[in-house]
Amino acid sequence: MVKEIERAGLPVVHVCTVTPISMTVGANRIVPAIAIPHPLGNPALDAAEEKKLRRGLVEKALKALTTEVSGQTIFE
Amino acid sequence: MRLEMGHIYIRDIQFAAESKIADGVLYVSEEALKAVVLEDEKLKSVSFDIAKPGESVRITPVKDVIEPRVKVEGRGGQFPGVIAKVDTVGEGKTYALKGMAVVTAGKIVGFQEGIIDMTGPGADYTPFSQTLNLVMVAEPVEGLKQHDYEAAVRFAGFRVAVYVGELARELTPDEVKVYETPTMMEGLKLYPDLPRVAYVQMLQSQGLLHDTYVYGVDAKKILPTILNPTETMDGAIVSGNCVSACDKNPTYVHQNNPVVEDLFAQHGKTLNFVCQIITNENVYLADKMRSSDWTAKICKMLDLDGVIVSQEGFGNPDTDLIMNCKKIEAEGVKTVIITDEYAGRDGKSQSLADADVAANAVVTGGNANEVVILPKLDKVIGTLDYVNKIAGASEDTLRPDGSLEVELQVITGATNETGFLKLSAR
Repeated sequence: MVKEIERAGLPVVHVCTVTPISMTVGANRIVPAIAIPHPLGNPALDAAEEKKLRRGLVEKALKALTTEVSGQTIFE
Repeated sequence: MRLEMGHIYIRDIQFAAESKIADGVLYVSEEALKAVVLEDEKLKSVSFDIAKPGESVRITPVKDVIEPRVKVEGRGGQFPGVIAKVDTVGEGKTYALKGMAVVTAGKIVGFQEGIIDMTGPGADYTPFSQTLNLVMVAEPVEGLKQHDYEAAVRFAGFRVAVYVGELARELTPDEVKVYETPTMMEGLKLYPDLPRVAYVQMLQSQGLLHDTYVYGVDAKKILPTILNPTETMDGAIVSGNCVSACDKNPTYVHQNNPVVEDLFAQHGKTLNFVCQIITNENVYLADKMRSSDWTAKICKMLDLDGVIVSQEGFGNPDTDLIMNCKKIEAEGVKTVIITDEYAGRDGKSQSLADADVAANAVVTGGNANEVVILPKLDKVIGTLDYVNKIAGASEDTLRPDGSLEVELQVITGATNETGFLKLSAR
């Protein structure tokens, strides 16, 4: 899906836990997620801490989306 | 470490007033079995049934399959850290009841359990159509949480297997096999010219009831380590897995791991079987990286020439598999990996979620998406309530004539990644 949307001319950020797979499939902007069962959250945190974590991830993804890249890039 | 494995062939199972094994027949008291299971107050009720090869019987949802064994000499007992006290097992003498299995079934996670057909086309796709199966279906007390139910059934299955295994303690085995691995230094002296080979076994450890236990320790909490391969024959590794049935390793597969068997068969002839290395398949990237780093490091420290790596499950563990392969190869150690494929119903899709050029020697257990029709059978042990939801089924699985249209994924052991069944591909 990442590749097809990019082929249509829109930049894509792939937020995913297993970044090596993202590299293998050819995503250009990759943001590491938390864990496979809960990529965008962490049930071990309390609600306020988790919200902060989630917002941080979305902001990082938005920043990645607006960053020029010259090749496959993981935004740590 | 030296283990003598005595095989006692079971040719029939019958319910009887008194439990005993005589002339290859297991007579077992249903009442005694029930008492063993209901020791655990989390279980409300249990029923037992016997399913024999060739009978028109379908068992589902299948959780685990276990071979009854008994430790007759040497340290420890069966399932150390789980049933027996923690002690290092794998030496001395153990008896195994061949030709039979304890099968645990029940609705636990429903969609994450499997199917065993004792006859028909489905029987060709599961190794457990060939065993006499003592099937246990246990119901939880009201309000019991799913993970507690899973643990209760897991432990009950092992207790039943131990109860049955104990009946063989005073018997004389029909056949004895000896498995022995030397220490590192002895191995070097004994086989200076043979390649040093180990078995890297990846254990399913994704959590959420996709778990394996090593000496009672949850495998997602282990760091890669080494075992004498005979330790697994005494139940050092057990399944706690509720995951796609075709390629999870039931406890029976750990007890009878064909990679271990085949490496022992070549040990001292074409290779020196140094040890078994176990690692996990966790859901955090950092864990995947750390575990594969350590596995490669251990391979290097042991001066191995080659390893066989087996995967358990599919999807993100494909990445663990490829990381292990890449990193071990980078240490100059040759690898052969064993996996299975999810290549779509037409077999045309990419088989694994990850790939690398280092993975240039691959053995496959077959395509889990392959569709088969399982005809209606006369008797169901368990329930068909989940058959449309089981992983590899669909809402159209149960057809009007009672047959099932399913992917191989639903069948216990169909695409096993230790080579436990016959399926493969070229």
